[in-house]
Amino acid sequence: MARQKFKRALNSRLSPFQKIYLLLVAGFIVGPFVPLLIQSFAFRWAWPDLLPGTWWLEQREKSLLPLAWDYVISPYSRVWEATLNTVFIGAVVTVICLLICLPTARVLAREEFKGKASFEFFLSMPLIVPEAAIGIALLMIFIKIGLAGSYLGIILVHLIPTIPYMIRMLTAVYQGLGRDFEEQAMILGASRWQILRLVTLPMLLPGVVAGALFTFLVSTNIFLLTFFLGQGKIITLPTLLFSKISGGTLDASAAGITLVVTIPGIILLLITERFIKEEAFGKGFGN
Amino acid sequence: MWIQLMPVLVVLSVLFGGALVLGVMQSLGFAPWFGVNTFPDFQYFGALWGDWFFWQSLGLTLYYALVSTFLSLVMGVLLALALVRYFPGKTFYKYLYKLPLMIPYTVGIALAVIMMGNSGMISRLMAFVGLIDDPSQFPQILKTHYGWGIIAVYVWKQTPFVALTVYAVLLGVGRETEEAAAILGANKWQIFFQVTFPQILPGIVSSTLIIFAFNIGAFEAPFILGGGFPDTLPVVAWRYFNDADYTLQLQGMATVVSIALIAGVILYSYLSFYRRYERRIGRH
Repeated sequence: MARQKFKRALNSRLSPFQKIYLLLVAGFIVGPFVPLLIQSFAFRWAWPDLLPGTWWLEQREKSLLPLAWDYVISPYSRVWEATLNTVFIGAVVTVICLLICLPTARVLAREEFKGKASFEFFLSMPLIVPEAAIGIALLMIFIKIGLAGSYLGIILVHLIPTIPYMIRMLTAVYQGLGRDFEEQAMILGASRWQILRLVTLPMLLPGVVAGALFTFLVSTNIFLLTFFLGQGKIITLPTLLFSKISGGTLDASAAGITLVVTIPGIILLLITERFIKEEAFGKGFGN
Repeated sequence: MWIQLMPVLVVLSVLFGGALVLGVMQSLGFAPWFGVNTFPDFQYFGALWGDWFFWQSLGLTLYYALVSTFLSLVMGVLLALALVRYFPGKTFYKYLYKLPLMIPYTVGIALAVIMMGNSGMISRLMAFVGLIDDPSQFPQILKTHYGWGIIAVYVWKQTPFVALTVYAVLLGVGRETEEAAAILGANKWQIFFQVTFPQILPGIVSSTLIIFAFNIGAFEAPFILGGGFPDTLPVVAWRYFNDADYTLQLQGMATVVSIALIAGVILYSYLSFYRRYERRIGRH
């Protein structure tokens, strides 16, 4: 009796409610992609048909590729341009962010100093000040000094929301690292450079990779700051998709572009799931 | 030591701090490049706050932000609690639920359009079961001030964020305390509210802070899926900013500063409320 009650209170298997809930959430998250995929391969899909009236395959003598995909991979859609821009900006932002955050994270993880709490609060401010405020305020300044619509301007502005994440993840890494190994190397007579190259960096590497991936991810997902400060001159995947659907309708080519915009996310998901451990994420955000 | 802090400090102070300071100054009438310099001048705030539509916009902005934050919180915590259990296919599920985290909000908006639009899947399903026989009979979901589309997009994108944060905290604390409570005779509700909940609260607070701030300042979803006038505040600010009459840009700046102020007040009270709770239960 008591044993049964104990088991009920501390179950490590799913309850029936949880099973249904997990299925519903899965449906909510990936379900809408099904009609999107169908739409991109449809030739004609009129209301109220649940499936397209004419599939591309039946009309393939008229167009070699599905209509949507033919457009998506053509230069007219500007998908390639947007993809290259997204990857280029993301990569540069990640490198800069990593370089300026590493020393700071090291200090934050290891030293106590006056004003540390307020410094940490300042570092997380960009996460809680609405993006629209930053975007529009910076746009005024950037137009004035000629940075609006330039790669440099976009890269600079992407640093604002990525720094807080990078700092948190790297600080968690340094905290886990401890000073002991470096001290041992020092006692054994290693030079500072040797310590950095042979001890600190190898131990830091997994965390650095995780932080870099996460920063890249945040940068590639930014819409508002790119849209406001890119001034339509620099397009990335999120802003390209925005311009396709801003009318509130979704045709076959927009469906194709939506799927293309999803692909980098899926690739990043497959990589990050291996590198970013949930525990590390928790250390960064659990407090 | 300060040398090591300098790079981040300089970048954030100049870009972020500079934007904030200049934004506030412009909203108070400092724009010499337009030939406007009446600093300090509260007329832009006066004109904005004196207009009834501002308060309607504010109400809408807060409504979308609060409802979607609350729904994401509940759904995310439930998801995290299920994820710590063992079930077949868990490895795959952990990939699947994170997908929205990895892709831009605009993808979520496209999905909302194809599902909830007037000729979308829900409309087609209703026609299939015979409820309607023309797209115009479909009870409009998108582009209304109820904001179902906006809320759906936020919840779709943010439930995984809350779930991931809370799940990470749950993994960190382990199950020992819950086991101890169970041995002492607590039932599952007591275990959740008196043991688990206080442990995951820091994760809940930090993730809801982040998503609420985002929702208040978000632009793309209300712009595409919203019901038109009155728009949410970020959309209002954007319209002012793109107005042919450039003096309205200062009004737009006042709107932006108002958003930041309101978000600041709400988040500050939320945090101090939470800190008081932490002190009451004897942490910190």
